[in-house]
Amino acid sequence: MSSPTHLKRGFAGMALAVALALAALPAFAQAAPVNLATAGPFVVLGGATATNTGASVLNGDLGVSPGTTLPGFEEAVVNGVEHVNDGVAAQAQLDLTTAYNVAAGTPVLPANDLSGTDLGNRVLTAGAYRYTSDAQLTNALILDAQGDPNAQFVFEITSALTTAPGSSVLLVNGASPCNVYWQVGSSATLDTTTAFQGNVMALESITVNNKASVLGRLFAREGQISLDENVLTRPLCPTGSGTTPTPTTTDTGGTGSGASANSKRRVKGNQTVPRVTRDGTAVVRPSPREACTAGFRATVRGHRIDRVVFSLDGQRIGSQANSPFAVYVKAAAGQHQVRARITFNDATRAKTMTFPYRACAAASLAPRNGPSQFTG
Amino acid sequence: MLVLALVVTAVGSALVVPAAIAGPRVPVSQPLVVLLRDHIARTRPDAHAGRIEAVASRRPLTRVRTVLPILARKVSGTGGSWLQVRLPGRPNGHRGWISANRTRLTVTGWRISVKLSSRRVTVYHDGQVRRQFRAVVGKPSTPTPRGAFFVEEALALPSYEAGGPYALATSARSNVFQEFDGGPGQIGIHGTDNLSGKLGTAVSHGCVRLGTHAITWLARRIGAGVPLVITP
Repeated sequence: MSSPTHLKRGFAGMALAVALALAALPAFAQAAPVNLATAGPFVVLGGATATNTGASVLNGDLGVSPGTTLPGFEEAVVNGVEHVNDGVAAQAQLDLTTAYNVAAGTPVLPANDLSGTDLGNRVLTAGAYRYTSDAQLTNALILDAQGDPNAQFVFEITSALTTAPGSSVLLVNGASPCNVYWQVGSSATLDTTTAFQGNVMALESITVNNKASVLGRLFAREGQISLDENVLTRPLCPTGSGTTPTPTTTDTGGTGSGASANSKRRVKGNQTVPRVTRDGTAVVRPSPREACTAGFRATVRGHRIDRVVFSLDGQRIGSQANSPFAVYVKAAAGQHQVRARITFNDATRAKTMTFPYRACAAASLAPRNGPSQFTG
Repeated sequence: MLVLALVVTAVGSALVVPAAIAGPRVPVSQPLVVLLRDHIARTRPDAHAGRIEAVASRRPLTRVRTVLPILARKVSGTGGSWLQVRLPGRPNGHRGWISANRTRLTVTGWRISVKLSSRRVTVYHDGQVRRQFRAVVGKPSTPTPRGAFFVEEALALPSYEAGGPYALATSARSNVFQEFDGGPGQIGIHGTDNLSGKLGTAVSHGCVRLGTHAITWLARRIGAGVPLVITP
């Protein structure tokens, strides 16, 4: 027979076991981190294709893989790099698949099964939530991080995600769009003027209707992403799992200072030396599609661009210090060279990009078919 | 031989004019604005100014983007950028101010001039005459309207339609017909397919007709927004 002392020890042991068991529960309550890895820089990454109508603005990289077309983006402003089925886009798709599977496999507490209910008009705290069929958002959904900037929200939606016109996702008390993941088993549709936040990872397609906006990222693994006059902004997130607050950076205001790229904040004597970045990127969106044209608009897009100076055959034709960094290039018939000299507002070394331009006396047009309704 | 080389040579209905004997000076280029969404044309460069009309972002016949000639630019007191543009439709030659938001600026070196008395169409590029064509213009009872206009859109017409193979739909409207053949009495520069009338005559209902070679040459070069001036 056990003595009282032994009984006390027995209860203490049981209490420890229960405490350990409870300590394991946060695996349910706190979702496993989702890591977008190389998909992180993208604001839009399509599978089959990504299309655009109207004057959309994309703040972040644009890509497609395994598809090879990005129709309609000549009307959009893409403040990022385009990757058309290149190695970067292909790797991003692979990392997206991993992130998608991690999100889809995140354990969900029974109480967090929201199937059959609307996401709108409710406040959710960090964790994983599940819809066993379609999910609908009408009006506002509030995600409350309760002061934890690393709070992660994962929505596992077996079928489609649809928002009603004018719906919104609001983040409060430190919640970050970097840490909100929408895993969609089929397709997502964000209806007109929806103000959405978070990273949408759809197995099939994503349709963003007119004037809807997204603070986050749109990923379609297999299908297409369709935009219609939208503003999409990739949030500034730390690299990695996306659970650490964004580090601050200080612009040097100069170019090519010689500081080591991406060096961390370091201590020199008793002084803290600000981190110096070389995050500048630039791509010329450029050349006329036709082999020969009377004129065209050359545009430079990228990150941390301070100024772009355009020249035609050595003659300066424009200088832009604000986006859009663009100039209309027009020259007499013949072969020409257009140069864009790009300086950045951090330590990124200045770039010079050149490309040829063949101007024709007359570009050949191909009018569309139409009805004859003239006075004759 | 030099004299011969300077003589205007006729190619079908086209008169190829060397630049050395070009006509009156015309601007080298015309700034244009491409509408990326529907706009409201106003009487002054001010969001609260009177509304003239709505301008659709796409043209009705082919759905291409609307392109308008820019006549002036101004920054409003609130810092907004405004463009004075020539507007399509009635009254002929009217103009208005639109916001520069959701637009794209471009430029054309092309310009078309129609002289009714000589029944000639002159095409300029970069300020120089590139071609002259004989044309059919409006008869006295249905004259071709005079004034400053622009090409709204270019279109290819099916072989069974009158006026093919191509047409340039202009911003001019007939001063006689408020409606014609289901359209708004729009003046076109088009071909002569399925139409009678000899080049160099004034027998049309107001449109400007050109030979097949001429309209084909034009349609391959002239796009939306190109200025058009019709003079007596």
